[in-house]
Amino acid sequence: MASLPLCALLAFLPVLAWAQDPRPDDAVVVTAVRNPVDKSYRRMLRGMETFEKRKRDLAPNATLRFKLLPRRTGTKFDTVNLELVGDSFATPIEVAADNTFTVPRDRLAVKENASVQADRKELTMTWRADVRSPGLPPGVRRLGDLRLECAVGMEAGLISNSRTGIGRLARYLFDSADYCERPRNRYLFFADRPVFNVTLVSGDRREDLPVERLYAGATVDPDWKRDLAYCDCEVLIDRTYFMPLGDRSWPDDTLVYFEYMDDDPR
Amino acid sequence: MTRVSLALLACALVAACAAPAKKTAEAVPGPGEVRSAAAARALISPGKSTKAEVRAALGEPVAVDFASGYEVWVYREMAERRANELVLLFAPTGTVSKARIRAGAPPSAGAGRSSG
Repeated sequence: MASLPLCALLAFLPVLAWAQDPRPDDAVVVTAVRNPVDKSYRRMLRGMETFEKRKRDLAPNATLRFKLLPRRTGTKFDTVNLELVGDSFATPIEVAADNTFTVPRDRLAVKENASVQADRKELTMTWRADVRSPGLPPGVRRLGDLRLECAVGMEAGLISNSRTGIGRLARYLFDSADYCERPRNRYLFFADRPVFNVTLVSGDRREDLPVERLYAGATVDPDWKRDLAYCDCEVLIDRTYFMPLGDRSWPDDTLVYFEYMDDDPR
Repeated sequence: MTRVSLALLACALVAACAAPAKKTAEAVPGPGEVRSAAAARALISPGKSTKAEVRAALGEPVAVDFASGYEVWVYREMAERRANELVLLFAPTGTVSKARIRAGAPPSAGAGRSSG
C-alpha cells in the first residue's frame, strides 16, 4: 500500500507546473499585501549562482533576468510592484515594461532570509528565468539559453508548487536543476505569444516539436480543462511548450523558431 | 496425415499472424485519427474551411480551445509508432487559418503525462 501514493505521485509529478491547489479568488484577503506572491531570496540567489556556473558551457554571452507572468484571468499586470523584504528592511525592485527584473546581491537579505514579494495575491502570477543571448531576431531562441533557463528556474524554485503533502514531496524529489537533464523532462516554457509551431534547427537538421509538446500537453490529456486550474499556465496555455532539453543530439547552438498563431499564413 | 496436419498448423499460424494486420487495415479511424495526414490535409483550405466542413470531412478531432477564441484541432495517423499528425488552427472567426503536418511524431516522444 505504501507504494500506491508514490505511484500516483510519479504519474503526476512530471508536470511540475501542474501542481497547485486551485483556490477561489476570494480565498485571500488583500490588505497591504497579505498572502502576497513571493519567492525566497536565497533560492533566487541559488538560481543566479547556477547561471554563473553554467553560463560558460550553455550560453556564454547570455544575460539573466527574472520574469513575471500572469496566472489568473483579470490579474492587472501593467503596474506590478516588487520588493525585497527582510525583517528589518524593504527595498523596491525595478520591474521593466516587459515584466522582467534583476535581483541585487545583498548580504543582509541573505542573513534575514528575505523574500521577493509582489503586490499581488498569491496564485495570480508565476515566475520564470529569462536567459537571452544577444543577436537573435524576434521569434527565435537558442536551445542553450532555454537549457539554462530551466536550470536556473528549478534551482531558484520559481515554479509554483503545491502546498499539499504531495506537492512538498514533489519539490523534494524533483526541484533541482538535474531535472532539466532528464530526456523527458516537462519544464514548461512560455513563448512571447500564442504558438502554432515550434521548430528546432541545427545545421541541416530541422524538426518540429510534436503537438503534444505544445499547450502543456493538452492534446494528450482528455482532462486538460479540469487540470488547468492546477497549472501555472492557467491563462497562458496557448503560449506553452516543452523542449527536449536532455536530448544532447541537439547542441546548445540549436536555434528554436516560433510560428505564432497570429503570424501571417505561410 | 502428419504432413497434412503440419500444413494445416502452418496455415493456422500464418493466418493468426496475419490477422492483426488485416484488422488494422480495415479499422475505422477513431476520434482524432485519419488514415493519411497528407490526404486529410488536401481536403482543407486555409482561409475557407469551417469547423463544420472539417468535421464532416475528417471526423471528430482532438481539440484544444483557448480563451482567445483560437482553437487547435489535431488528427493523427492510425499508426502505432511514428504517426504523422495534421494540426489545424482555427481563427476566432471559425475558419482554418493555418494547417501543417508534423512528420513522424512518436506518440510517446517525451510527452504524455506519465513520463518523468
